[in-house]
Amino acid sequence: MAVNHENPEGAVLVVGGGIGGMRAAIDLAEAGLKVYLVEREAGLGGRVAQLGYMFPTHDCVLCRGTSDHGYGCTRPAISPAFVDHNLHPNIEIMTRTEIVDASGQAGDFTVTLRHHPRYVSVERCTNCGLCAAVCPVRLPSEFQEALVTRMAIHKSAPRSFPDAYYVDKGDYCTDCRRCQAVCPTGAVNLDEEAWDEQVHVSAVILAVGYRLSDAGALEEFGYGRYPNVVHSMQYERYVSRSGPTEGLLLRPSDNQPPKRIAWLQCIGSRDQEHPYCSSICCMYATKEAVLAKQRVEGVHCQVFMMDERAFNKEYNAYFHRSCQEYGVQYTRCRISDLWEDPQTHDLILHYPGEDGKMKEERFDMVVLSVGVQPPAGAEALARALGFNLNEYGFCRTDTFNPLETSQPGIYVCGAFASPKEIAETIIDAAGAAGDVMRLFHDQLGGRPSSREYPFLSRGDFPPERDVSGQPPRVGVFVCRCYPSIEGAVDIERLLERAREYPHVVYAADVGYGCFPEGLAAIKQAIADHDLNRVVVAACSHRTHESLFQRTVREAGLNAYLVEMANIREHCAWVHAQEPEAATRKAMELVRMAVGRASALQPVYKTAVQPVRRALIIGGGVAGMTAALAIADAGFDVTLVERSEALGGHLHDIHYVVEGYNPQRLLRDLVNRVRGHTRIDVYTRTEVVEHSGRVGNYRAVLRRQDGRQEVVTHGVTIVATGGQEARGSRYLLGKHPRVITQLELEEAITSRLDEIARLKDVVMIQCVRPEDSEGRSALPPYCSRICCTSTIKNALRIKVANPDCRVTVLYKDIITYGFREQYYTEARRRGVLFVRYDEENEPVVESLNGDPSTSSERRLRVTVQEPMLRRPMVIEPDLLVLSMAIEPAQGSAELARLLKVPLSHEGFFLEAHIKMRPMDFMEEGIFVCGMAHYPKFIEESISHALATAGRAITILAKEPFYIGGTVAVVDQTKCMGCLTCVRVCPFHIPRVDPHRVGAGGIAGASYIEPALCHGCGTCTAECPATAIQLVNYTDTQIMVPEMPVLGSWVSV
Amino acid sequence: MSDNGFEPQITAFMCIYCGYMAADTAGALRIPYPANVKLVKLPCTGKTDPRYILQAFEEGADGVYVVACPVGNCHHVRGNERGYARVQRTKKLLDAIGLGGERLEMFFMSGGQGQAFADAAKEMTERIRSLGPSPIKERVNELTG
Repeated sequence: MAVNHENPEGAVLVVGGGIGGMRAAIDLAEAGLKVYLVEREAGLGGRVAQLGYMFPTHDCVLCRGTSDHGYGCTRPAISPAFVDHNLHPNIEIMTRTEIVDASGQAGDFTVTLRHHPRYVSVERCTNCGLCAAVCPVRLPSEFQEALVTRMAIHKSAPRSFPDAYYVDKGDYCTDCRRCQAVCPTGAVNLDEEAWDEQVHVSAVILAVGYRLSDAGALEEFGYGRYPNVVHSMQYERYVSRSGPTEGLLLRPSDNQPPKRIAWLQCIGSRDQEHPYCSSICCMYATKEAVLAKQRVEGVHCQVFMMDERAFNKEYNAYFHRSCQEYGVQYTRCRISDLWEDPQTHDLILHYPGEDGKMKEERFDMVVLSVGVQPPAGAEALARALGFNLNEYGFCRTDTFNPLETSQPGIYVCGAFASPKEIAETIIDAAGAAGDVMRLFHDQLGGRPSSREYPFLSRGDFPPERDVSGQPPRVGVFVCRCYPSIEGAVDIERLLERAREYPHVVYAADVGYGCFPEGLAAIKQAIADHDLNRVVVAACSHRTHESLFQRTVREAGLNAYLVEMANIREHCAWVHAQEPEAATRKAMELVRMAVGRASALQPVYKTAVQPVRRALIIGGGVAGMTAALAIADAGFDVTLVERSEALGGHLHDIHYVVEGYNPQRLLRDLVNRVRGHTRIDVYTRTEVVEHSGRVGNYRAVLRRQDGRQEVVTHGVTIVATGGQEARGSRYLLGKHPRVITQLELEEAITSRLDEIARLKDVVMIQCVRPEDSEGRSALPPYCSRICCTSTIKNALRIKVANPDCRVTVLYKDIITYGFREQYYTEARRRGVLFVRYDEENEPVVESLNGDPSTSSERRLRVTVQEPMLRRPMVIEPDLLVLSMAIEPAQGSAELARLLKVPLSHEGFFLEAHIKMRPMDFMEEGIFVCGMAHYPKFIEESISHALATAGRAITILAKEPFYIGGTVAVVDQTKCMGCLTCVRVCPFHIPRVDPHRVGAGGIAGASYIEPALCHGCGTCTAECPATAIQLVNYTDTQIMVPEMPVLGSWVSV
Repeated sequence: MSDNGFEPQITAFMCIYCGYMAADTAGALRIPYPANVKLVKLPCTGKTDPRYILQAFEEGADGVYVVACPVGNCHHVRGNERGYARVQRTKKLLDAIGLGGERLEMFFMSGGQGQAFADAAKEMTERIRSLGPSPIKERVNELTG
């Protein structure tokens, strides 16, 4: 594609500020590209901000979205890059903004944006809430899914980003202007008007998400008429800790805990109107049922579904836990309607029981598992930007270019491409960012950002004053924040008292400390009074600490020499009715802050120049894709492949269900990799040693002939893939008529005439190999791709010979997303699908004598037909087994070598299943493709691009910084007792035999600053108090000079 | 506001993630709670050192509690569970020296739970109020006259 590089900034437009848009924006910004992050709503976060828990991890931990230290928490931020006053310098956020028009081409788009007014200045809003208190218009809260109300002037969520109010100025707004009159900072301007703006960007990433199906559209389920019928997102709000009940599950009609809850699956999915699978509902319903079981004692939870699609890492185990450990009941039935008992508001469902007879059951709450639909405005967006939608109204993508739209330079990620969950959205987003980085490689690093300080910056600050050895000279700044703080705390008395505290040489009030005039006053006072420690008594560390750190740094002080006392959220706002008590508490909080500030010391991070080379282990589709992206972006790659040829598993795939040719992809990838000047390919080579840290690793490669080579590199990507399991289950390898799906695919490709002669074919799904004692050699997990492969091959057989009977014996058909159409197509063409379960697995017998000697030998397959409740006996010409996909051989050894974990299935285990699906906990090592979990080619490509993007953010850094708030061992005190090694949640400390510990004895602990997360667990456990956490040393917490932990200041 | 005229002085240690955030949420939602609690931030409740707790009592706190992320939700994976084990150990120590383990408590809550944060402050204030002032403080007062 021709790229026009007229835009010197290389800016990228990211449309949609949900989890995908945020992820893409951060990665692009970290790679040094300018990002416009455009969001239609008033705050970032999207759907994920509404979810209290994720499956299967049962946590929220958006705070673990990146590896950053510091305040990552929480909704909607996935990184400190979206904490107020700490926005990434390369990201410009535009809320309430939509795209109206675009022109140009890849590398040079001109996009017209329309900014709708917020009517409240983000810069001047202090969240005092006076405006909402006087607003007369009450409306249903969108964030709480109409379970409670909000005012016309409101915040989209209590912790919204941007952290400011806005006015929903619909027809219902009476324009009474009370909010404008009451606002103490003049932040409200109801006369603001929409305005258009043009931005020039090189590329666009669409991360516009999805729309939930309308629960009321299917009238037979009574949503909107029966109070106890709720949709799944409402249920999420009930169980969320940030929901209207702080997590108490109550049924709407009487606010009593429900005793019997039913989930109805596929509402707005897999039906005539929406012939695709929404991919997420099976798992979220399972999560919701488990949450009910955990919250409400004795509650009966029943899920009515067609298939249980638990097709990702740990999902199957989670599903089994939900059945076996929690007792959630799953019933295979699509409920067609329900009735309400008007007296009790209970709901009555009819469905066939175990015996096949219809039964009637009462539930006191019904949850409609609503599906995923294209986002509102998709068509207008497609028209404006000139890309195509598919037949379902989602963004059209090409199978082997899964993140590209039909318009070059415009990329897509997340649910807008097809329904998908959080982890896959994050993979897509990082992948789209990676794809953009490769395209605009000459602009990478063009806008460097720095993490030298505890806040994000460009690093351009005046020289720092050396305050070492100086006695503390503390300045206290008390923010009046009218009416918030001033309304409860006696500022004059507080200041008077503050001046009496040790080391305080200056104390003054500021009107609004966070406004430019307040910041200027603080800087001026630092200079005028030669302050070397600063206390800001104002609001939350979480929202404003970065701002004041930046301010003192601008004033020439080390950024770690400021401490905040939160006298607003923790004091004035909660003790407004007790001004005397509030004033006293504020005095104490300020005293504690002065004590800590006096003990603060400058902190300096270490600058590291990364080695600009990536090591990629595994030369399959994932490894090659990642290699090409990184090499195209201008960095060197060492690609190591164990076998004699590049390509891996792709060699065995001859066609995909969508009709594309994987062999052409293979040839194209191999040719490009082989021809790329920046990629060194090592085949018949393995990695035998790996050491170092992010930015500077060292690996030893061993070729098959024994020759060894050393490579130094900045990042490592694991792309070792997976393989079809073998074994002898169902006479595989023992009977000539039993083959695997891969073998069938090979036969269809090369010997179609033979296949066309078959009259009766049976396919068995979910076959796991057995060990010598007949037990399954693999834990139960869904291999994700087999159902689609089976349907692909079944369709080929049906095309070759429509009279051939094809029977698929399955547990659950996993054709998620748009793959559902091929399941429908297979049934339309007469493929028979017969379900079996674990208790009634099919029985395969050889009908005569020694099965290995003759191809004429016959087979008999017996399976219990669930509808007829009778055995069904087939004597097929061919039995095809869908074997499980298992991790590549040697994965366990490689994991040990790289010191990264494996999941219980044996695949590589990423840092967090939902939030960091391509990172390991150790920064600098990444995983993609089937090494992570079985996946389709297009999913491996996205995953590979995601790791490439993440790798480039490190490789493009100049320099990157390590250290900050990390644990440091005083080895002269270390006894080498291993306590730190044992307690560290991240397995970072090591006892290094080359270090000398206490008493001159060899062996002392070492904590790598590049890896330490700074939690301080080791420091609290170390029996010798040999470890201190920087910026949280014992002295800084206990402050021996000025006791702050116990008695309060007397009034 | 008190029943017996005694206003306890309570120290709460909290992580900068859920614990601190829950306190912020209580503020944002203007949920009142007794002004008897002062807050000390730690990077994680895995940093809760029994020495900090004992120091707080030694310096005159009538009660101490720790606020952590819900179990399973710790930003540092298991720091809160490590902290919990240490709090349990310290409770035994307080029992042994006659101060009483009930003066120390640990709470787990998500950052969204402003009400839970206020409830914890209420619960501890009431508990410590009914227990009376810390015997350490009384003893120190006796000694220093």
